[in-house]
Amino acid sequence: MRRISTARVLLLASILAWIPGAAQTGAQEPVRVAAAADLGPVLPGILVQFQLATGIHVDAVYQSSAALTGLIENGAPFDLFLSADLDYPKKLIKDGQAEETEPQIYARGTLVLWTRKDSGLAPSLDLLRNPTLKRLAIANPDRAPYGRAAVAALRSMKLYDALAPRLVRAENIAQAAQFADTGNADAGLISLTSARTPRMSGSGHYVEIPHGLYPPIEQGAVVLKRSRQSDRAHRLLGYLLSRQGQAQLELGGLTPVQ
Amino acid sequence: MDWQALILTLKLAAATTTILLAVAVPLGALLALGRGRWLAVLEAVTALPLVLPPTVLGFFLLVLLGPKTAFGRAIVSVLGHPLAFSFAGLVVGSVIYSLPFAVQPISAGFAAVNPALVDAARLLGAGPARIVGTVLVPLARRSLVIAAVLSFLHTVGEFGVVLMLGGDIPGATRTLSIVLYDQVESFDYATAARTAAVLLAMSVAALAAIYASGAARSARAGSTLND
Repeated sequence: MRRISTARVLLLASILAWIPGAAQTGAQEPVRVAAAADLGPVLPGILVQFQLATGIHVDAVYQSSAALTGLIENGAPFDLFLSADLDYPKKLIKDGQAEETEPQIYARGTLVLWTRKDSGLAPSLDLLRNPTLKRLAIANPDRAPYGRAAVAALRSMKLYDALAPRLVRAENIAQAAQFADTGNADAGLISLTSARTPRMSGSGHYVEIPHGLYPPIEQGAVVLKRSRQSDRAHRLLGYLLSRQGQAQLELGGLTPVQ
Repeated sequence: MDWQALILTLKLAAATTTILLAVAVPLGALLALGRGRWLAVLEAVTALPLVLPPTVLGFFLLVLLGPKTAFGRAIVSVLGHPLAFSFAGLVVGSVIYSLPFAVQPISAGFAAVNPALVDAARLLGAGPARIVGTVLVPLARRSLVIAAVLSFLHTVGEFGVVLMLGGDIPGATRTLSIVLYDQVESFDYATAARTAAVLLAMSVAALAAIYASGAARSARAGSTLND
């Protein structure tokens, strides 16, 4: 009995010793970024480069643009919002949460049709007409920009009504990729950024959905008014728009805008 | 109010509760009557769904039930499709997710039954099934009611597992918690508040009815007999 309580005291002590240490690392607070889920595979590498170049540490959170907007509206302490569309940044501007009067477009997204290599289904637009396609994963079109693009593309191809009962809706575009990657959905309309990750390009293949079939996925950024380090947030945004930043975004599967 | 989602949620909760009671009564009896160190391991394993974040549990189930595992492929060959994104898949996920909420009250209730009564039944020649049916279940009725209520409510409020495993298909996997989340995420706070209010009002009414009902009261009487 005594031995257990000693172990507990030691455990508690080590936790307590660790907490202040964690809080003290770095004299400056990190720049906090709320990033759309499609940036999950791309942004971490860029943030490392940014930190090497400037010494500024950045913490990023990846979720659907809608979820992040909800967090920001309710006081989440972010400095920079990188949305996957323009509507959510515009909403934040309208609600007086952003510094800018117009969102800064930093990249354009590309929608792809992705299938697993072992599924025996080749990714092509014809696959969408194929009745063997039982489950097609998309992001939730009510709030995820890539989900909206997916529905728009299916409508342009006049396939939406036929495919609607076979759609499975994911919470965000990263989860749509997960549905397809785990083999539970036969195919997914996902972001090029997910399809380009080592994991997904190893297990599957994709075809780009022609840009003419859906409205452009223009990804906008705003610096948030609440930020106490907006100059550093602006530097990060400037870096994303620089030649180097744009080249890295392009490598990850986003179309540069500069 | 999305009535289709509400009905689906009630169906899911009813199916889950039925299966859980069928699983938890023998499991609880084993934990209460059994001997041996491995029972502690079994008890620990039944509590595990409490530890994992629900979305992580949902993700593991997504992988396990999908065609990338032998188990998942066996399911696909039987059903012709993966369990994910179907009502049956949600039932499997919910049973695992709510397992502790059924097993814990039942095994605690069985353990609280006076062991002299169990020994007496055993001396009179009753086998384990008869002891459970004629001694443990009648005397621990109240913990069965609690287990059923907890399992049902926990399934109604289940979100992470459904989010990962469901695919948000109206009539099949779009439960009320997903509808509520969709409404909140679409900034439709007024509708979300209405949906939540209906859900809460119904839950309070149903719970009050259960707790006030003769079944629960006689169960209480049953447990006092046991003292």
